[in-house]
Amino acid sequence: MQSTVQSTKPQNQLVSRFLGFWQVFRKNRSGLIGLGMLILIIFVAVFAPLIAPHDSSSSANVEIGDIYLQPSATHWFGTDDAGQDVFSNFIFGARVSLTVGFFAAFISIIVGGIFGLVAGFFGGRWENFLMRFTDIMLVIPDLPLMVVIVALTKPALLNIIFVIGLLGWTTTARVVRSQTLAVKSRKFVLRARAIGAGRGHIVARHILPLVMPILVVQAVLVVSLAILNESALSFLGLGDPTTLSWGQMLNYAFGRGAMSTGAWWALVVPGFGIVWVVLGLTLLGQGLEKVLNPRLETHHLMPGRPSVQKEAGWEVVKKGTLLEVQNLSINYVNEGKPPARAVENVSFTLKEGELIGLVGESGCGKTTLMLALLRLLPAAGQIVNGKVFFNGRDLVTLSDDELNNIRWSGISIVFQGAMNALNPVRPVGEQISEAITRHLANSSKEKVEARVIELLELVGIASDHKDHYPHQYSGGMRQRAMIAMALACNPQVIIADEPTTALDVMIQAQILELLDDLRKKLGLAVIFVTHDLGVVAEMCDKVLVMYGGVTAEYADVDVIYNTPKHPYTQELLKAFPDLTKPKKKLSSIPGYPPRLEALPAGCRFAPRCPAAFERCHVEQPSLHILADGHIASCHIVEASR
Amino acid sequence: MTTPGAANDAAPGSTHQSENLLNRLRYFLKKIGWALSTILFVLVLNFFLFRVLPGDPARAGVHDPRLKKESIEALRVRFGLDKPVINCFESLNPVEFGSCSVNPLDTQFFIYLKNLLTGELGISYHTNRPVTEILAERLWNTVLLIGAGQILSILIGMAFGIFAAWKARTSIDYAAVTSSLIAWSLPTFWLGIILLFWGSANGFPLAGKATPGMSSMPLLQQWGDIAHHMFLPTLTYTIVYMGEYTLIMRSSLMDVLSEDYILTAKAKGLSTFQILKDHALKNAMLPLVTVIAINLGFTVAGAIQIETVFSWPGLGIAVYEAVGRRDFPLLQGAFLLIAVAVILANLIADLTYAYLDPRVQTE
Repeated sequence: MQSTVQSTKPQNQLVSRFLGFWQVFRKNRSGLIGLGMLILIIFVAVFAPLIAPHDSSSSANVEIGDIYLQPSATHWFGTDDAGQDVFSNFIFGARVSLTVGFFAAFISIIVGGIFGLVAGFFGGRWENFLMRFTDIMLVIPDLPLMVVIVALTKPALLNIIFVIGLLGWTTTARVVRSQTLAVKSRKFVLRARAIGAGRGHIVARHILPLVMPILVVQAVLVVSLAILNESALSFLGLGDPTTLSWGQMLNYAFGRGAMSTGAWWALVVPGFGIVWVVLGLTLLGQGLEKVLNPRLETHHLMPGRPSVQKEAGWEVVKKGTLLEVQNLSINYVNEGKPPARAVENVSFTLKEGELIGLVGESGCGKTTLMLALLRLLPAAGQIVNGKVFFNGRDLVTLSDDELNNIRWSGISIVFQGAMNALNPVRPVGEQISEAITRHLANSSKEKVEARVIELLELVGIASDHKDHYPHQYSGGMRQRAMIAMALACNPQVIIADEPTTALDVMIQAQILELLDDLRKKLGLAVIFVTHDLGVVAEMCDKVLVMYGGVTAEYADVDVIYNTPKHPYTQELLKAFPDLTKPKKKLSSIPGYPPRLEALPAGCRFAPRCPAAFERCHVEQPSLHILADGHIASCHIVEASR
Repeated sequence: MTTPGAANDAAPGSTHQSENLLNRLRYFLKKIGWALSTILFVLVLNFFLFRVLPGDPARAGVHDPRLKKESIEALRVRFGLDKPVINCFESLNPVEFGSCSVNPLDTQFFIYLKNLLTGELGISYHTNRPVTEILAERLWNTVLLIGAGQILSILIGMAFGIFAAWKARTSIDYAAVTSSLIAWSLPTFWLGIILLFWGSANGFPLAGKATPGMSSMPLLQQWGDIAHHMFLPTLTYTIVYMGEYTLIMRSSLMDVLSEDYILTAKAKGLSTFQILKDHALKNAMLPLVTVIAINLGFTVAGAIQIETVFSWPGLGIAVYEAVGRRDFPLLQGAFLLIAVAVILANLIADLTYAYLDPRVQTE
């Protein structure tokens, strides 16, 4: 009994994997079209004798008058140079072309697959040798080599299949090798090796199943190349004279006067077959590829969604206030799904020279909020409500050109991960000077140059690093360069979005010191996005605690640290070591922040809140003003008032 | 402390100018060495292919029944056929073992290598002219055709790719991608035939590179005539290869445009045009250069087909004619020249890549 259970289980797994694959694939329209085209032509090839209106071997009693007959009711696509029915030959030709394509591709896939697996799995000398050989074969032009070999041997179908197959494995070997390398270092393979599983077992049970999907995509493309190669060889006169592939039909028609007699049908129809199959395979390959490597297909230059808010203006901004964010709400719009409410109803004020800390766990909408201030949201992001007043002008409703003028010269950003935020193929100095020339009108080249040097020195980078590329900088230097870039146009506000993540602790401290230093020296207002409550306590004037896209609590830094009202703030502080109370026990908050597509019905923190009661799970708390400049969204706060 | 800890995090092994130059030189030498060893492989392959496979060129020529005995002997000596193929083997097809102690310099293999060094590729059976001479005539016509076709297809493909990526997921994008996929699926020779069919009805020349008797005309008119002849072959070439370049450029640019540094550029207030020009194109070009290099082999395949359809007097049609006439010395020479040219073009692409991407030199 046990053996049957064991044997059916992997099969079920295979079926369910296939079904899962199909669920994704069937949403890909062009992939489905490709599959349909392919199935149709295979059907035609298999049932050729039933479909073809004329027998393909009826050349015995052809008369001179039958040659290149126009399309008619008896010959739908006319006749060819031998007086045979073009349409029937086309249908039988599908058999030859597909046979060559599939068998040659089979050889290529086997050879390339083995080479790639061996090179990737065994590494070392094997890999070195096989990959060098692959690279050499990749460079040598395929078709001329095929021509030479077929010309020296015999143009028989079997020879052609082998020649195409044995010269078409190179890309497969490379693709399989890199996939094998990727799979080899996965945990379950390492574990299998650690417990002493044999190499054959590891390859067969662990690596091959994960290489297989890529091999299938590759096979689809190799078949199309093989069919194209076969047709080219046939056209060059190296096809098997005893069979009639599409390429061979074209060779005969072109070489035997179809051109001069104007017999377009003899030239168009076979070529159409090749295009049909190759296009079908290409579409199918692309569809499969998209299932394996799903891409978002969006980028930063795609036009963003216009904000829902249209009319501008609210009130004259109070003196000393730089930035006033009012009830800002941001959705991520997903086609066919309800929008994800990433940020809801967030307000804060930033005064001149002030430093506000924005804290919360990852995925709480901090970065989304910051990007929205300058309307830099990804294409799916949409501002659905609220205003962002900068010096009295609403950035949400400003025209694109006006906003572009404010970007960087009014508000600039120090992004997290300077490695990616700097362009790898342009010198750092150039990337700084670019911002200056963009925003400071008629500044001479020398002046800009001098300013770049001044900025670099300001952040502690020697000016001779100016012409170096980002990869020549250390992590800390890149972040310094990013800060120098942010300062380039003398902005009033700097947004520092987790500027020290991915740096080691020493460098983190230096960067923070530098930022604080510059802020005091230049009188900047800073929005500081961070996880680090210690930094917030030390540097910030005000704190905005966000949870799941909403304001949890917003107050002066003293209030947040000494009399936090929101349970989330309290829990966050418990997770943070305090030097004045060294005996205090640290505790983390169990669970994770909510996913945007599955927000709880009531308070977003309720599922993790130690103080949650019934009402918290059904009703979202509104923002309660506890004192001047102290806001919290919690039902307990309301009750205690 | 005005600049906190500036000294503590200097650049790792701060790259000096000279070190950079050295790295670059090392990279260049490595690539050149690689190309040379690949060429050597091709030379060896070429020699043995023509001796192991049934249709031994030299022997076929020597066994031509029309030749006199003295001529056969002269030819045998000329091509070194009286010598063993290589140490230990008198002949490879059929296999005949021989002495292993012969002077290696006195074998067919080394005579073949020595002949190559002096540019001696044998005599064409069909025209009885030196193969080197025929190939030299033909080479530039192929270079002209491939050059014009490559430049056009790359430029147009890039432009389409840029537009498609920039306007991603709009109807412009879908149109560009669909037409590229169709163009990619066209067999080169078939498209050539269709265009020739169309051209024949629209006053385009059907074959060759120039109208006979043109050489007595003024130079400008000659060039115009060549351009007229070149139009259809180049158009075929451009359409076939454009599609692939469009797709590569599109996906490469899509990748670049979703990078963080594009967001930085946008935050700086740069216009879409500036971002594309200064931050995206160079980065997106890098994969394109690699693809162009890898494609050169396929490119030659296209040229052979196009030259055959349009009777364009280049290397491709030399291959076609050599196959049809069993002219093995010409076939061997043409294959060698094509393979070496592709390897060298690959080398140039590699070096261009290093020039475009500053990261390569420090790796």
